[in-house]
Amino acid sequence: MFDPALFKLPGMRRLTVILALLAVVEGICIIIQAQFLSVAIVGLWHLKSLATILQPMLIFAIAWTGRQLLVVFKNWLMYPIVEKTSGKMRRQVMQKLYQLGPSYVAKTGTGNVVTTALEGIDKVQTYLMLVVIKVIDMMVIPWVILVYIAWLRWREALFLLAIFPLIILFMIILGYAAQAKADKQYVGYQRLSNHFVDTLRGLPTLKQLGLSKQYAHNVYQVSEGYRKQTMAVIKVAMLSTFALDFFTTLSIAVVAVFLGFGLINGTITLLPALVILVLSPDYFLPLRTFASDYHATLNGKNAFADVQKMLALPVPTDRDQLGEQPLAWQADSTLSLKQVDFSYDDQQPALKQLDLVAKGYQRIGIIGASGSGKSTLINLLGGFLSPMPGHGTIEVNGQPVSHLGQTAWQQSFFYIPQNPYLFHASLAENIAFYQPQAGLSAIGQAAEKAGLTAWIKTLPDGLNTQIGEGARGVSGGQAQRIALARAFLDDSRKILLFDEPTAHLDIETEAELKQTILPVFEHHLVFFATHRLHWINQMDYVLVMDHGAIVEQGTPAELAAHNGAYGHLRDEMVGAI
Amino acid sequence: MKAFFETFKHDTWVMPYLRKYKKLLALTLFLGLMTFFCGSALMFNSGYLISKAARHPYNILMIYVPIVLTRAFGIGRPAFRYAERITSHNWVLRIVSDFRKKLYQAVAKHAVAIRQNFQTGDVLSILADDIDHIENLYLRTVFPTVIAWLMYLMIVIALGYFSWWFGLLMLLMLGLIIIAMPLWSVLINGARESQSRKIQQTFYTQLTDAVMGLGDWLISGRKTDFYDRQTAPIDEIARLRRADHRFQWWRDFTIQLLFGIICLALLIWSSFYWTTNQASANWIAAFVLSVFPLVDAFQSVSQGVSEWPSYQRSIRRVNALDTTPVDETDQTVLTEQFSGLRVADLDFQYEAGTRPIFKKLNLSLAAGEKLALLGPSGTGKSTLLKLILGDLTPTSGSIQLNDVPISRLQNERAKLFGVLDQQPYLFNTSIMNNVRMGNPDATDAQVKAALKAVELAPLIEGLPDQYETVVEEGGARFSGGERQRIALARILLQDAPIIILDEPTVSLDPITESHLLATVFRVLQDKTILWVTHHLAGINYVDQVRFLEAGAFDMAGTPQELYATAPRFKRLYDLDQGHDEV
Repeated sequence: MFDPALFKLPGMRRLTVILALLAVVEGICIIIQAQFLSVAIVGLWHLKSLATILQPMLIFAIAWTGRQLLVVFKNWLMYPIVEKTSGKMRRQVMQKLYQLGPSYVAKTGTGNVVTTALEGIDKVQTYLMLVVIKVIDMMVIPWVILVYIAWLRWREALFLLAIFPLIILFMIILGYAAQAKADKQYVGYQRLSNHFVDTLRGLPTLKQLGLSKQYAHNVYQVSEGYRKQTMAVIKVAMLSTFALDFFTTLSIAVVAVFLGFGLINGTITLLPALVILVLSPDYFLPLRTFASDYHATLNGKNAFADVQKMLALPVPTDRDQLGEQPLAWQADSTLSLKQVDFSYDDQQPALKQLDLVAKGYQRIGIIGASGSGKSTLINLLGGFLSPMPGHGTIEVNGQPVSHLGQTAWQQSFFYIPQNPYLFHASLAENIAFYQPQAGLSAIGQAAEKAGLTAWIKTLPDGLNTQIGEGARGVSGGQAQRIALARAFLDDSRKILLFDEPTAHLDIETEAELKQTILPVFEHHLVFFATHRLHWINQMDYVLVMDHGAIVEQGTPAELAAHNGAYGHLRDEMVGAI
Repeated sequence: MKAFFETFKHDTWVMPYLRKYKKLLALTLFLGLMTFFCGSALMFNSGYLISKAARHPYNILMIYVPIVLTRAFGIGRPAFRYAERITSHNWVLRIVSDFRKKLYQAVAKHAVAIRQNFQTGDVLSILADDIDHIENLYLRTVFPTVIAWLMYLMIVIALGYFSWWFGLLMLLMLGLIIIAMPLWSVLINGARESQSRKIQQTFYTQLTDAVMGLGDWLISGRKTDFYDRQTAPIDEIARLRRADHRFQWWRDFTIQLLFGIICLALLIWSSFYWTTNQASANWIAAFVLSVFPLVDAFQSVSQGVSEWPSYQRSIRRVNALDTTPVDETDQTVLTEQFSGLRVADLDFQYEAGTRPIFKKLNLSLAAGEKLALLGPSGTGKSTLLKLILGDLTPTSGSIQLNDVPISRLQNERAKLFGVLDQQPYLFNTSIMNNVRMGNPDATDAQVKAALKAVELAPLIEGLPDQYETVVEEGGARFSGGERQRIALARILLQDAPIIILDEPTVSLDPITESHLLATVFRVLQDKTILWVTHHLAGINYVDQVRFLEAGAFDMAGTPQELYATAPRFKRLYDLDQGHDEV
C-alpha cells in the first residue's frame, strides 16, 4: 500500500512524522467537534434555552474550523515536496533521455516516451499528493476516534474494531474476483475498444470497397457488444465499492440500534450515545476517501514505477575517450573497425564481424536489400548504438574507443536520415540548429547553396517562417535541403552520414537534389546508405551488406568486374531477375 | 454564461441524447437521489432513534419503527448506490454506441479527405477521445450536479414546510454551496484553462522536439540548451498546478465552513422551533445529524462543474462535424460494360481565387489500357485521382465513364474502381476476413485463390493459424510488401474494371517493389489501370506515360517513344536503372 520508494524521496520521512502528528490533532478536533455538537443537541433535548448552548456551539465551530484548516495545512505542507519531486523527476527524465539517445526512442516509441514524460509524471504528482496524506490519515485517525469511543463504551468500539478488517477483507476478495473477471475478458475487451479507432482509420479503404455504409451498423453492433462486456465487468468491479458501502452504513445502523437498546435499558445516557453516533461515520471516512481514489493511486503507482525504471536504465559510459573537443577530421585521419559485432538483445548479433577502414575524405556507399543492416551500421557509426563489449575493436586515428558515442566524434559529423526532423521553430533557427550563433546572412548563404532560395521567396516571412510539427508543411525534398543547409552552414564537421536520404522522393526531385548534394561530398568523409543505385557512381568505395554482414567491399569498378554479391544485388534491384 | 448557451445552440451531440433513453435517465437520477436520501435518512433516523430511546419509553415497540427504518436505510444506501452506478454506466455506454455510429457516419462522408489531411490518424484519435470525454461529462458532471440539485430542492421544500424562513435560509446557504461555488470554480478554471492549455502545448511541442529531434540534439552537442529549454515550461507548469491546488484547497475549505454554519443554524432554529415539548425535541438530533452525509454529495459538484471548460472543447469539436446526410438524388448506374474514361477540358482549383491546379486538362483511357502518371510532388497527381473518383468536383470541364458523368455514379464506385494506395488499410481481424471485404459473397475457395494469385499462399500456409491469422493493428503482422499483396488480393475479389494504383510502392525497397509490380501487372492484365508513380521502375509495363507539370501534361507517349525522343525522360530512366554520368 505504501511504496517503499516513496520514503527515499528527500524530506519524506520527516514529513511523514509531521503528517502523522497532525492527523492525531485532526482526530482530536473531530472528537471535540462531535462532543460539543452532542452537548449542544442534548442541551436542546433537555429543552434548555439557546443561551445555555452557546458555549458548546462556539467550541464546536472552532473545532470544525480547526479540522478543516488542518486539512489545508497538511496539503500545504505536502505540496512543496510533491512539486519539487515531480519537477526534479521531469528534469531527470529529460537528462536521462539525452544520455540514452535516439536508439532508446526508436525502441520505446516516440508516443510512449512523450507519455511517460508528460502524463506519466502528472499522474505521479497526483499519486504523491493523494497517497501519502490519505494513507497516513487512514492509519491514524480511525484509531484516535476508536480510543475515545472505547473510553465512552467498549462494546460499540469492539464492534467497530472488528468490522474494519472485515471490510478490507471483503474488498480484497471482491477486488480479486473483479480482476479475474476482467482478465478473462481482457483480450476481447481490448479488441472491441480499439475496434472503433481501427474502423475510423480504415474508412477510406471501406469506402473504396463500397462497404462504408453498411459498416455503420457494424460499428453500432460492436459498440453494443462492448457495452455488454463492460457492464459484465463493472457489475463485479463495483461490488467491492458496494461491500465498503454496505459494511460502513450498516455498521452505523447497527451501532445506532445498539445504542437505542442501551438507552432503553439505561446502561448509557444520551450524550455519550450521541457522541458515538456522530463519530462512527468519521471513523470510516478515511477508509472511504482512500478507496474512492484507489484507482487514481494505482495508475500513479504504475507511472511512478515506470519513471523509476526508465531512470534506472544503464547509459553508455566512457564518452570522452577522444576528449571533449570536436575531432578535426583531416585527409590522413582514419577510422577502423575490426571484427565488430552488434546485437539488439545481446544474443542474436544484428551486425556480424564488421571489418572496415575509412581514411581521409573517402566516399563510402553502403548498399544491400532492406533488412540487410544498412541503417544499423549507420547508427553504429553515429554512436547511437554500441557494439557488443569485447567483440572486436574500433579505433579513431589509432586511438581505441569502446563505442562511437564519443562526444568528440559525434560533434564531428552530420547525420542525414530519410526524414530529417524539423524543429518547431523558424526556418532560420532550423538551419542554424548546429550553429545557433550564426548570422542571418550566413544562414541565407547556406540556404542558397542548398537550393532553398526559390522556395523561401514564396514563404510569407521568408527565413523567419515557422515550420515543423503543426506549422507550415515542408515537403520531403525541402526537408532534405534544410538538412543539407545545416551542413553547408557548418563546414567544421567533416564527416557525413546519410541513411537513405532519397528513398521516399520521386525521381525528378531526387535528380534535382542530387545536384545539390554532390558538392557537399568534397573534402568530407561520406557514408551513404542507399538502395538507389545511381549514387554508387559517385562513390569511391562500396560496402555490400547482407544479413548483417559486409559480404563484399571494394571500389565500384572492382566490384563490377567480378560477378559477386554486388552484381547480383544490382540485377535484382533493377528488376532483371 | 453566454459561451455556455452558445455551445448548445446548434448542439446535436449532448441534448438529443438526454431526451433519447429518457426512462433510463430518469431511473439513474432517481437511484442517485435515493442514494443520498438514504444516506441522510439513516443519520436522521438514527438521531431520532437514540433521542427517543433516551426518553426510556415503557415499551420497546415505541422505537420499533425507527429501528427497522435504520436498518432499511443502512442497507438501502449501498444498494441504491450500486444500482445507480450500474444504470448510469449502462446509460452512458448506450449513448456511446450511438455516438460512435454517428461519428463514424460523419467521418465517412469525408473519408478520402481524412486520409489526405490526417495521415497519422491523430485527429481520429482525438475525436474518439472526445466521445470518451463526453461520457465523463455525464458521469462526473451532469449526474452528480442534477442529483445534488434535486436533493437541494427536496431539502428546501421539506424545511420550508416546517418554517418558511428557515427554508429560505437553507435555499440561500445550500445554494451558495451547489450553485455559487461551482459557478465560481468554473469561472476561475475557465480563465486558467486557456493559459494552461497554452503552456501544456508549449511543453508538448518542446517535448516532441526533444524526443523526435534527439539525434540532432545529441550530435549538435548543445546539451545545456537542451536542458534549459525544458526547464522553463516545467516551472510554468508547476506554477500553474500550484495555483490550481491552492484554489481547490480553499474552495473545499469554504464549502466545509458553510456546512459548519449550516449545522449551527440548524441548532439555533431547533432551539426556537423544536423545544416546545419533549416529543418534538427528539427531532433535533435527527435534523442536525442528517446534514453530514450531504457534505460528500454537495462538495463534489464544484469539482465536476469546474471540469466543464475541457468538456466544452470536446462538445464544440464534435458539433463542428458535418452530420447532414448526403444528397443521393440524381445517382444512376452504368448500364453497359465500361468502355472508356474521358477527362475533357478539366479546370480545377480548390477555392475561388487560389492557384488553379489544372488548366484545360485532357485525358482518355480506353478499356484495358494502362497509363502511368508522373510528376514532382505537389503538381496535383492525387488531386486528379480524387477528381476521377468523384471525391472532388471539377471547376469546369467533365470527367465521364462511357458518357456518364462520374458525379452521378457515386453509389457504383466500388463496382467501377479498385484502389491500391500507399498504405492500404488492413483491419485487425483475420487475413480471410480482410480479403473477403473485397466481395462479402466470395467463397473460401475464391478468397484462397485470390491469395494464391498474389503469391501469398506459401507464406500464409506456413503460419500456425494459416488463413485465420490475425493481421494485428494496421496489418503490423506483415511486411509492407505483404500488406500490399493482401490488399491486391482484396482488389482481385472486388473485380472492378478500373484499377487506380496510387504510389503503391513508395515505401518499399527496390527488390520488393519490382517483385510486387510484376505481380500487380500480371494479375491485373485485363484491367484498365491508372498508375501514379514516383519513379520509373516498372515503367515498361504500361502503354502510356504522362508527366504532369504546372497543371498540364508536358510529356506524353509510350515509354519507348519517350526514351527515344525526350532527353529528360531518358535521364530519369537511366538514373532509375542505376546509371548516372554526371
